[in-house]
Amino acid sequence: MTVMTTHLETDTVEIKRRRDPFLILLWLVLVVFALLWVAPVVLIAFTALKSNAEIMATNAFTPPETVAWSNFSGAWERGNFATTFRNSAIITVIKVPLGLMFSAMAAYALARIKLRFSKLLLLFFLFGAMIPFQVMLAPIFTLVNGFGLIDTYPGVILPYLAFGVPYQVFILHGFFKAVPKELSEAALIDGASHLTVFRRIFLPISLPVLAALLILDFVSTWNEFAMALVLLQDRNMWTLPLGLMSFQGQFSTDYGQLNAAIAMTVFPAVVVYMIFQRYFVSGLTSGAVKG
Amino acid sequence: MLKSKAMQSPRTQALMLIGPAFAVYATFAIWPMIEVVILSFQHWNGLDPQREWVGLENYRYILTSDTVFWVALRNTITWTILAVIFPPTIGLLLALGLNEQLFGRVPMRAIYYLPVIIAPIAVATMWRWMYDPFFGLFNQVLTSLSLQAWIQDWLGDREIALYSMFVAYTWQYVGFSMVLFLAGLQGVDRSLVEAARIDGANRWQVFRHVTLPALRVTLAIVLVLSTISSLKAFDIVYGMTGGGPAQSTQMLALWAFMQSMQIFDFGRGSAISVILLLVTLTIVVPYLRWSQRDEGAAE
Repeated sequence: MTVMTTHLETDTVEIKRRRDPFLILLWLVLVVFALLWVAPVVLIAFTALKSNAEIMATNAFTPPETVAWSNFSGAWERGNFATTFRNSAIITVIKVPLGLMFSAMAAYALARIKLRFSKLLLLFFLFGAMIPFQVMLAPIFTLVNGFGLIDTYPGVILPYLAFGVPYQVFILHGFFKAVPKELSEAALIDGASHLTVFRRIFLPISLPVLAALLILDFVSTWNEFAMALVLLQDRNMWTLPLGLMSFQGQFSTDYGQLNAAIAMTVFPAVVVYMIFQRYFVSGLTSGAVKG
Repeated sequence: MLKSKAMQSPRTQALMLIGPAFAVYATFAIWPMIEVVILSFQHWNGLDPQREWVGLENYRYILTSDTVFWVALRNTITWTILAVIFPPTIGLLLALGLNEQLFGRVPMRAIYYLPVIIAPIAVATMWRWMYDPFFGLFNQVLTSLSLQAWIQDWLGDREIALYSMFVAYTWQYVGFSMVLFLAGLQGVDRSLVEAARIDGANRWQVFRHVTLPALRVTLAIVLVLSTISSLKAFDIVYGMTGGGPAQSTQMLALWAFMQSMQIFDFGRGSAISVILLLVTLTIVVPYLRWSQRDEGAAE
């Protein structure tokens, strides 16, 4: 009954909307704006596929006549991309799942197990989500250097974990808190440990939120620059953003290759976003809206 | 194995679950924050085994003798104010527009969000090239429109370099605000909107009296996140101007980094960090208290 009425209502609203001049105008504005917004990306893609002669001779937004794939292979070689790509991949593939695991475990315990200090602990974690690590680059360097971990994978992964955990704990805590008690209580009474309840019940139902956090974390780990700049000084340990920065410094006038380098740096993050994006808005909403 | 874990008290289980996150967070995030305060009272080049206590000397130097610090502070404040006004406002307008049932709204949302996924350092590289005074896109477009008089050295002119950079920053972060507002708009009660429309309210009145009040929490989150992300503007400045020309686009986060890691004066660098940290705390602490009070009310 209620379903029927709402359905009818939306239908009438849609018919009314189609004739609404305000919405037509709005649509036009949004489209023009979207074209402006996507223009830099199109420009990068086109330029990356043009030879340098063609870049100089043609308009920036003319599609390439002959596709110059050599820009990509050239930039790959000169920019040492094989190395930086591998480093970025190793760091991201270890850091992202591990961080999500740590955060989910902590968030579950804070939301679901009665502890005297859980509120204080949550606040302690939340605090970290608000503090920009860019402020602390020097002491982070000193600390990692003290452990002898400069120019190593653990040397970047550990600080990355530390600064990823707070936000994820915050979001997952909100989500776990909203899960109905009945779902976990029966299992607990039957003698299951919290670890089992967490693994068998809470992890499966939080997959959409975890997917959303996975995108966010993948993107920010993949793109991270400032901490890598301080902690990775050996060229052979550099990540993609560091490689791109150095490429820009050395070959800034080879526009075709420079844009190919930008495209290659950005590409994996865009692909991951496209794969997981359908979870993105829904996952964020379910985490942010408290029950 | 499983049985023995079930035997453990909830407290022990909780500690085991929280342990890893807590350990890594306390060591690599909280300790550096304490260390930066300690360092700010010391003189150290980052290598010597000995660190010398100098009291407030680093602060005295920065506040009285370091002219770049004041430029950086002014730029950081300007940047923060701009970052709190423009990206959230544009993001809200886009979210309101793209929340309507419009043709192609899904790909349009994706387009506006796309720059958020691009590495800030890549954004800096892209825009630096587009701003190039000779071959850059902007000046080419202006030339083809016969607007040569508007041609600028976008990043080389001290008067406008900061604002040129800010345009790139806005391009990147509008999508972020937009997604948060879109998520918030899903929580607006549709029946309330319809009721208001039936009662004869126009679009502006519906927005002002129904939508906006419902977005109160989202608005607070967006504003705080915008403020924090603007305070950490580092990559984009490093990649576009490096603080130049003549330190005119210097910012606190970058200047702290340069003092410590390039000039090897960890004391002064840390003192700048502490000042930036204090600025951040004056924004964060009231927000945390407010959000906790909200949660308390909800329970």
